Amino acid sequence: MAEIVIEKVTKRFEKFTAVDAVDIKFRSGEVSCLLGSSGCGKTTLMRMIAGLETPTSGRILIDGRDVTSLPTKHRNIGMVFQYPVMYQTLTVRENILEPLRRQKLDKAERERRVDQMLELLDMRDLANSYIDGLDAGQSQKVAVGREVARQTAVILLDEPTTNVELNAKIQLIRAFKEITSQLKQTIIYVTHDQTEAMTLADHIALMQDGNIVQYDEPHELYSHPTTTFGGWFLGNPGMNFLPAERSGDGLAAPLLAQPLPAPADLPAGGELRIGVRPEQIRLAPAAEAGTVSGKLLERSINIAGRYLLKVQLGTSGVTVKMPGRYDGAPGDEVHLAVKPADVAVFADGKRLG
Amino acid sequence: MTALRVAGLRKEYGGTPALADLSLEVEEGSFTVLLGPPKCGKSVLFRLLVGLEVPDAGTIELAGKDITGEPPRYRRIGYVPQSFALYPHLSVRENIAYPMRLAKAPAADIDAQVTRAVDMLSIGHLLAKTPDQLSGGEKQRTALARGLLNQADFFVLDDPLVGLDYKLRERLVDDLKRLRAELNATFLYATSDSIEALRLASELAVLDDGGRLLQQSNPLDAYHQPISARAMELVGFPRANLLSGAYADGKLRAGPLSFALAGEGKATVGFRPEDVKMAAAGGDGVKAKVLLVEDLGSEMVVHLEADGSSLLATALKEEGVFQPELDADVTVAVAKEDVRVFAAGAES
Repeated sequence: MAEIVIEKVTKRFEKFTAVDAVDIKFRSGEVSCLLGSSGCGKTTLMRMIAGLETPTSGRILIDGRDVTSLPTKHRNIGMVFQYPVMYQTLTVRENILEPLRRQKLDKAERERRVDQMLELLDMRDLANSYIDGLDAGQSQKVAVGREVARQTAVILLDEPTTNVELNAKIQLIRAFKEITSQLKQTIIYVTHDQTEAMTLADHIALMQDGNIVQYDEPHELYSHPTTTFGGWFLGNPGMNFLPAERSGDGLAAPLLAQPLPAPADLPAGGELRIGVRPEQIRLAPAAEAGTVSGKLLERSINIAGRYLLKVQLGTSGVTVKMPGRYDGAPGDEVHLAVKPADVAVFADGKRLG
Repeated sequence: MTALRVAGLRKEYGGTPALADLSLEVEEGSFTVLLGPPKCGKSVLFRLLVGLEVPDAGTIELAGKDITGEPPRYRRIGYVPQSFALYPHLSVRENIAYPMRLAKAPAADIDAQVTRAVDMLSIGHLLAKTPDQLSGGEKQRTALARGLLNQADFFVLDDPLVGLDYKLRERLVDDLKRLRAELNATFLYATSDSIEALRLASELAVLDDGGRLLQQSNPLDAYHQPISARAMELVGFPRANLLSGAYADGKLRAGPLSFALAGEGKATVGFRPEDVKMAAAGGDGVKAKVLLVEDLGSEMVVHLEADGSSLLATALKEEGVFQPELDADVTVAVAKEDVRVFAAGAES
């Protein structure tokens, strides 16, 4: 168990700022996912925690100890990469056992940890198989298990499922969930895959341009993004954003039949937008109080057979995600409604209220 | 009108057919998507279309004219290959202009075309940069701009979004649809991503290994009326459940499930994950164990095991909808109206 504290950490590569004055505490005994697009700084931040990069400025503390300039081997961390180095000519059991030999553990404890890991990985049957006979997913499971078995205070994983095909990836994620729920190590998991982060993480640190824009539980991050970036990044597809303007005491926007009460922290200036998730827009059978009307431009099938509708609302367009099938045709007039509670208001990209 | 007609196209490498015998028609003005597993022959087809390779048999007609034997430069086909293939020493502007410079087009034409292409893709601010200064998405847009610059009205795009971040792909999907409309062109687009295909396609062609065309229809019909078990499996995400079944005593039994359907012999049963209804353990239906719940924000994908069979189910993350939990036992049921039955042994 170890808390990881990042204090005003910046990393520059010549003129490029990869990580920009990041302040965050990763909770002890939890899985934290660093989530973001390529180039957002997530891997650089992980590499600084690992000691593979030195911060340009700032401090990193693991379990209260300043490790900023400590070599990797003295940080008590395990690491799993996209392409882990495995002992190809050793068996699964030996691959997990080998790093434990270098720790001062007695034989019984070593065996106990290997057996526990084989159990958690659901790989008992493969214990005596050689690594070079395994597929990429199985091999990656062993790589994860090998690091976990060392019982370091912290484990860092850098996109470990990237090179693993879908079925094996599911196996790996299941094994990972099993392990983390049992062993409660502090884990930092880097990924660009929102589903993976939402599925695995206790907390997600969403990154953009070298900053952590939000650190929250997955459901909270999805339901209450604090920035338009968060609303856009999470979701398949992400939030709709529509221009909003002051109207008397409230805020008017396309999609809103009635102006919303203005949030108390509404600034005097700035670009105002409302954000609504596609699945929170309801299609009404007819024009009625609380609906706005638009024209259906196109429909397509999305994940789980849900129909995605593109609707023209005046000069704006919105995407609506239906619970299932929808048989209307492009060109039809449609009537949309949203609950005020499902509407977020943003000023210059930051959430109000 | 038919923009492209391919008949009996065949291409082998070392005796193995990459394309066995492909016949395909692409309607003018359509966004036709070839959806198939990796290495099913999509890239080979494109290389034959643009003339980078010669077919062993078959013909290619573009706008009613046989171009099978024509050299590449006379084929009026725009080509966006899978890899970026940008010249590292040239600026974005010169990378985009390169094919026109090769063709010795007048400088004024080149400028006008480059400006139009970069405006469509919103990369005008990148013109002076070199590829090493670009993000993955910017490189891809530059490659797209170069492919679209060609004064063609027929374009082939070979999985241009593969390997890009998911969110970037989502944005480029919208760009591509808009681009096709603005160019008033015909797009033939290859991908192995089912959701990308369903979102882009006005017409969907489902291919299997060896370039075998399983089904060609509008994407909604491809999803709801699959012609075979294999076609059903290839279209839609998460993938459809397929179980082998057999008829007995007026029922069709498949894995843990049984349906009141009469018939004889064996059959393959297919049903979509959203048609697997889950409820608390102990209800009417089949007992299953939850192996994994993937959280997609507004839906969840549930991996189940029932009596030795793996099943995929989805559920909306909404109030009033049963929310299965990891490692729990649940009851699953599939209505017979939601099942498609295919002749056994004719999976494809």
